[in-house]
Amino acid sequence: MAQYWLSSPWANDPWASFEQLRRAMDTFQNPTAAPRRTGAFPPVNLYETVDGYVLTAELPGLSAGDIDISIERNRVTVGGNRQVERPDDGSVHRAERASGQFRRSIELPAEVDADKAEATHRNGVLMLRVPKAEQHQPRKIAVKTR
Amino acid sequence: MTTENTTDLQTLEKPTVEREGTRPGVVFRPDVDIAERRDEFVVTADLPGVDEQHVQVKLEEGVLAIDGELATTPDAAWTPLYAEYRSGGYHREFRLTDAIDADRIQATMRDGVLTLHLPKTDRHRPRQIAVQGG
Repeated sequence: MAQYWLSSPWANDPWASFEQLRRAMDTFQNPTAAPRRTGAFPPVNLYETVDGYVLTAELPGLSAGDIDISIERNRVTVGGNRQVERPDDGSVHRAERASGQFRRSIELPAEVDADKAEATHRNGVLMLRVPKAEQHQPRKIAVKTR
Repeated sequence: MTTENTTDLQTLEKPTVEREGTRPGVVFRPDVDIAERRDEFVVTADLPGVDEQHVQVKLEEGVLAIDGELATTPDAAWTPLYAEYRSGGYHREFRLTDAIDADRIQATMRDGVLTLHLPKTDRHRPRQIAVQGG
């Protein structure tokens, strides 16, 4: 399951492989012991479809209008401010939810057609769908008979 | 101070228990905030991907259990290229004291965040005692 954890194209930390091994062993012993996500906020997943990419990000508590997305060539930037309400008239027993400004920049494997990008935010999950640029689209080659 | 700390939810959380076979797929422990106000506790849980139809809040024998399932899952036709989080259900439970008025617990779900208001019972609310001059 989830082999793609081990092949992050952004892993340039020399210690990452040890972390990955530890994580893999944890997963082997107990599937729920593996960390659910990395430390970055928001955590993002990237998928490839037939004609483009789908980027999802977990942003619970934010509404659609609070999220800024920009695309430049093949770089997607997601930013915003997640203000977690903590009462000032009481005491806080536990504060695990991330709060504050965030900005993530994710490089896509190929250039995309930013004009055709569509983003939705439902139940705290952002989903950005963007088709690949024309020159990266799969092409159907007609086979001629001679 | 020699106050009895009977209303502290923090120390009352049960360790996550493995429940094999009862749930399909992986279940994760959601991030929570717990705050205490004068007359209530507020529990806020991040359940990204869960809507009000897929969340269950249950109180049974003094244990408050939060369960969530994803409303939608990623399309199986998509090829994962890179992942920073895994998708699955959520489960977390807390043992409540009798300081909480179980009948008046309120739960709301919005943008993947569950908010629970747990009112304190009347006898656990702080009371101001008027001191009269002799």
